[in-house]
Amino acid sequence: MDKKKILIVEDDEFLRSLNAKKLESEGYAVSVSPDGTSAIELIPEELPDLVFLDLLLPGGKDGFDVLTAIKADEKTKNIPVVVFSNLGQAEDIKKAKDLGAIDFLIKANFTLDDVVTKIKEILK
Amino acid sequence: MFWSDLVAKLPTEPSVWIAALGLFGVAFFLGYFWQDQSTRTRWQVKQEMLKNQQIIELEKVNQNLAAKNRELYAKELELTIANKHLQALEAAKSKFIAVTTHQLRTPLSAVKWTLDLAAKGQLGKVDEEQKSFLNKGLISVNRVIAIVNELLRVDSVETDQVVYCFQPVNFIKLFDEVLFEFEVQAKSKGVKLSVRRPETDLPPIDLDETKIKMVMENLFDNAIKYTPVGGLVEVVVSDKRLNRAEGAIEVTVRDSGIGIPSEEKNNIFQKFFRATNAIKAEPDGSGLGLFIAHDIVTRHNGSMWFEPAAGGGTIFTFTLPIHQKTL
Repeated sequence: MDKKKILIVEDDEFLRSLNAKKLESEGYAVSVSPDGTSAIELIPEELPDLVFLDLLLPGGKDGFDVLTAIKADEKTKNIPVVVFSNLGQAEDIKKAKDLGAIDFLIKANFTLDDVVTKIKEILK
Repeated sequence: MFWSDLVAKLPTEPSVWIAALGLFGVAFFLGYFWQDQSTRTRWQVKQEMLKNQQIIELEKVNQNLAAKNRELYAKELELTIANKHLQALEAAKSKFIAVTTHQLRTPLSAVKWTLDLAAKGQLGKVDEEQKSFLNKGLISVNRVIAIVNELLRVDSVETDQVVYCFQPVNFIKLFDEVLFEFEVQAKSKGVKLSVRRPETDLPPIDLDETKIKMVMENLFDNAIKYTPVGGLVEVVVSDKRLNRAEGAIEVTVRDSGIGIPSEEKNNIFQKFFRATNAIKAEPDGSGLGLFIAHDIVTRHNGSMWFEPAAGGGTIFTFTLPIHQKTL
């Protein structure tokens, strides 16, 4: 069976590499995007099975823009998107869910093992 | 006699009488007129004086009023400015908290993940002693994260005072989501977590999801925090109040922890209050968690209370009505 593809959109280099390392060790094929613009380009090409999306991203496009773009494209709109951010005010959560995010995780409240549990739950 | 002599001497001529009467009449009229004139003048003068006095008094009052008006206007200006200041401060505070917490959470996540991976041996083999050090580091970083989270919660409670968004929610799903985070926490502390859900499906409950999440997070977190290693935390979602006049669900969180001293039980839901034994067991709490939880449940027209558990520990219970009347 092919490896499931996961895209991590995260601007913090260290968090990105930790997350990628963990998911690779769990047997996933991991690709990464350091900003919103590259994520919007990459997603329709790669068609990942799941996207981990940070909200505050450098450059013009933030996570909400990426989410809107994924959901607007027929080809990508069914890809589950988990918002993985350190924002977490009620209005951020509501906005992300309204835009179609399947879940909203606050990075600081989870360990990477919890993240893996979550992925398995979503992709089963 | 004297009197009859006098009468006898009176003139009998009628003309004399008439003249005398006429004279008398003129004198009377003149006297009356003079008298009247002088009283009238005196009265007028008096009135004039009174009027003047009234005018002076009125002027004084007027001046006072004008002064008061100016004062009021100045106060109003002051208040407007103060209010603007307060609003700006409140906005700045919220922004400050949102930004700093985000800036704090990112490096905290990095430290947490690294320590966690290292402690679990996923970054290479570690021996028992190294593992215990890494775990202590993890506990410390989690403590800082909890404080940051608490700060954010207080802020959102105080700024969103009116903004409660009630929606019909699948309570068990929400409950399981919250529980998911705490199963890990209980396991890593070595506390047993037992959960009981109702056997039949619950109807959707009108609630504000994020706020009720906070309530459960707070109760679960406290229960695990204050229960010693090897202890038991029992969480029960019950439908026993569902068929009452005001249908409600009930959630009970029972810990086998340090308990609440009876002399302090009236203060438990107060802002910044912490029980003396809780401070000893866990010096870092803010004393805000239960205040917030109680406030949220009350705004849902539910109740929250606690009682000592037989055999030590505390049972916290809260109820949530199925329907909110404001909907």
